Amino acid sequence: MTSIHVPSPIIQVRNLGKYYGNFDPAMIERTGPEHGTARDHVTASIVAAWGVNFDVAAGEALGIVGESGSGKSTVLRCIAGDVAASTGDVRLTPFEDGNVNILDLDPSARRQLRINTLSVVYQDPAEGLALGVTAGGNIADPLTAAGWRNFGAIRDRARELLARTEVPLDRMDDIVRNFSGGMRQRVQIARALANKPPILLLDEPTTGLDASVASGVLDLIRQLLEELQVAAIVVSHDFGVIEMLTERCLVMQHGRVVEDALTDQLLEDPHHPYSQKLVAAART
Amino acid sequence: MTLETAPQTSPTTIAQLVGHRTTETFALLDEESKREIRRALLQAVCIPGYQVPFGSREMPVARGWGSGGLQVTLACVGADDAVKVIDQGDDEGVNAVNLRRLVTMSTGIDETTEVDEATLIQSRHRIPEDDMNENHILILQVPVPEPLRGIERDIRELARMHSEADYSRMWVSLYEDKVRNGVITQSTGYPCLVASRYIVATTPIPRWDIPRLHQSKFLTLFGAGREKRVYAIPPYTDVEPLTFEDVPFEVESADGATCRLCGSSDSFLVEMPGKQESWSCSDTAWCRRQRNT
Amino acid sequence: MTMTMNKTLPILDVKNVSKSFTLHNIDGRTVTALEDASFVVHPGEHVSLAGSSGAGKSTLLRLIYRTYSITAGSVKFRLTNDEWVDIAQLSDAEVIALRGREIGYVSQFLHAQPRRSVIDLVARAGVSRGMSIADAHEQAGYSLARLGISRTLWDVHTSVLSGGEKQRVNIAAGLISPPRLLLLDEPVSALDPENRERAIEVIADLSNQGVAVLAVFHDLDAISRLASRIILMSRGNVVTDGPVDQVLPQLTPGDVQP
Repeated sequence: MTSIHVPSPIIQVRNLGKYYGNFDPAMIERTGPEHGTARDHVTASIVAAWGVNFDVAAGEALGIVGESGSGKSTVLRCIAGDVAASTGDVRLTPFEDGNVNILDLDPSARRQLRINTLSVVYQDPAEGLALGVTAGGNIADPLTAAGWRNFGAIRDRARELLARTEVPLDRMDDIVRNFSGGMRQRVQIARALANKPPILLLDEPTTGLDASVASGVLDLIRQLLEELQVAAIVVSHDFGVIEMLTERCLVMQHGRVVEDALTDQLLEDPHHPYSQKLVAAART
Repeated sequence: MTLETAPQTSPTTIAQLVGHRTTETFALLDEESKREIRRALLQAVCIPGYQVPFGSREMPVARGWGSGGLQVTLACVGADDAVKVIDQGDDEGVNAVNLRRLVTMSTGIDETTEVDEATLIQSRHRIPEDDMNENHILILQVPVPEPLRGIERDIRELARMHSEADYSRMWVSLYEDKVRNGVITQSTGYPCLVASRYIVATTPIPRWDIPRLHQSKFLTLFGAGREKRVYAIPPYTDVEPLTFEDVPFEVESADGATCRLCGSSDSFLVEMPGKQESWSCSDTAWCRRQRNT
Repeated sequence: MTMTMNKTLPILDVKNVSKSFTLHNIDGRTVTALEDASFVVHPGEHVSLAGSSGAGKSTLLRLIYRTYSITAGSVKFRLTNDEWVDIAQLSDAEVIALRGREIGYVSQFLHAQPRRSVIDLVARAGVSRGMSIADAHEQAGYSLARLGISRTLWDVHTSVLSGGEKQRVNIAAGLISPPRLLLLDEPVSALDPENRERAIEVIADLSNQGVAVLAVFHDLDAISRLASRIILMSRGNVVTDGPVDQVLPQLTPGDVQP
């Protein structure tokens, strides 16, 4: 231990694991990068993620990179509460001072966490928005869930967030279904920030958007992460996104973490063969 | 309420069954049925605003015509009760008359049009203008007991929303309403928060009557026959119409309108059929009394 | 109370540092970029890394910044409280903390920059190193002016600037409220003669501020004006390490070929 002051973690994840199917302790050894699969040939169970450990401090963005099926989205969804983890210990400092494993909470308590503590931005805006509701209404949702009851104040906050995410205010009362993909994503981000969450999870936030649109959204996210000093986890298969948004990064393959490094180090000096392959492919 | 004991012999033929029903039971329903409804009502009173499921029986009244309210009345009625039945404020509406007759014929109790003579008041669409007190039970006929029906169709999700008091989608729909229309436009069935816990549908009484529910002296029971639910607002319970702090809850009004018959301007008025701009009191009994005093 | 640093004590102590890459996806071969490099840097010194392409100069800078991980050796850095830490062994979180305030890196390319205004970019760098927002803005303006970025450009987004302008903004951001150790990797290569002059002046000032600078320049003139010491490298090894007057005459044009 040195005397270098390192900020204390806001998110602590230990031994996070998720499997589908029947559990057989030996199946852990039969799956993973050395076997080239997450599927256990004996039980036909899938070890979607196993043994994942990491910390994230305030103001830090941790990347999780990997191809489809790597388990990166599974990890995010387990922390978000969209998927029930099979095992693990996840603690969030803003919730009960980090003394409670949020994976043990019942669904109602997990939902409460999603109102004030932890927000998610999904790849598909339709997953994080009600398409038949206006942009302002989508922001009113988390606000009213947090107890906001003043219509004027709700409108003001919605305007503030839409302005910050560069959504034209004259579209505040348009239903989100009528927005383009990039605009929908901005509204999703505005909504995610409504209650000033200290933790933000982003799952492929710009995948599926046109390149020019994606770069604008990415830039917005980057600015917001700097401004708001949230603890963020960014899941992406795209190294450009990881490079722009994160300082540290995990590489996942077949459900396991194969490398954990500073982002610039991963991009310039990857160690694990799979990381080298991914980085080389990204560079071409 | 008094409990009547059922006859000892069980019917074995259809004729006996019909005869059993119309002459030997008190208040149309057999004792087991009434007991089940009362249990549901007790639960409802213990959990203000919570929709309690009950086994809604076949009634001589078709579904959608007050079968739920009727079952509640029949479960509550005792030999000493006096019943008033109104439909849109009017004792003489066809449905009100039929329902009242069903109750009195199967029980032999008194009927009345005067609130202060009644103990049970069954109503569709209005709360009587007269003040009611601890001696009254108001029974409302409800078509759709679920206040969130317009927002969510999945019954499991609805159950979850109520159990977790997760009403944010209701708030969003109020927000959208205000944004789209400038005001919150719900007229009948305005959603209210009961005892700061459950949101209820106050169908189908008009907004005008909603403030009467708040901290009322009387018990209000809601019966939905087709949907098979009962719920209750006990006396002295908080009932708050859902609205934003800065958007005041408004009741219906028409500028300068007064009742053509009694001249009142502070009762709930309805337009006389066929005559524009010609108003009269919805509560006919109340109106008549104004004229006679 | 300000910590006065002992100027005779080095701030960076590189010992027997080697770096090899294992190329798993080619044939698993190992490539050695640096072998057994050792040297120290003192506060206020400007040490020039010279040598032809592939000599290992950029590798060395990256190893110190921890963009590369070490294969052998140690990279010791002295903190403000005089404690020595081996950068090569620090946790990622500790490296991030050091990079924020203590060690800076200015490279040739301004890449992946946000759509931020020029002055904002520079001011933010100052804030991240402990300046107040007001001071940072003021200092940013001053730095930009010194580097010849006219005031009219201060509020434009960096994306609309020319390559040379971007590089000067990059330099301004790297040098504002300078960290105690600054690593420069060809910072003036993209600049025209006039702006190169301005940049060299600004970099020269760093020594007066007690900043330790380790720099790669492909420019004999810049080296002669800035360096107090030169480390000459060849094929991954340190060949010479001495004061500028001694080593400079030994350099051939090949040693500064980009």
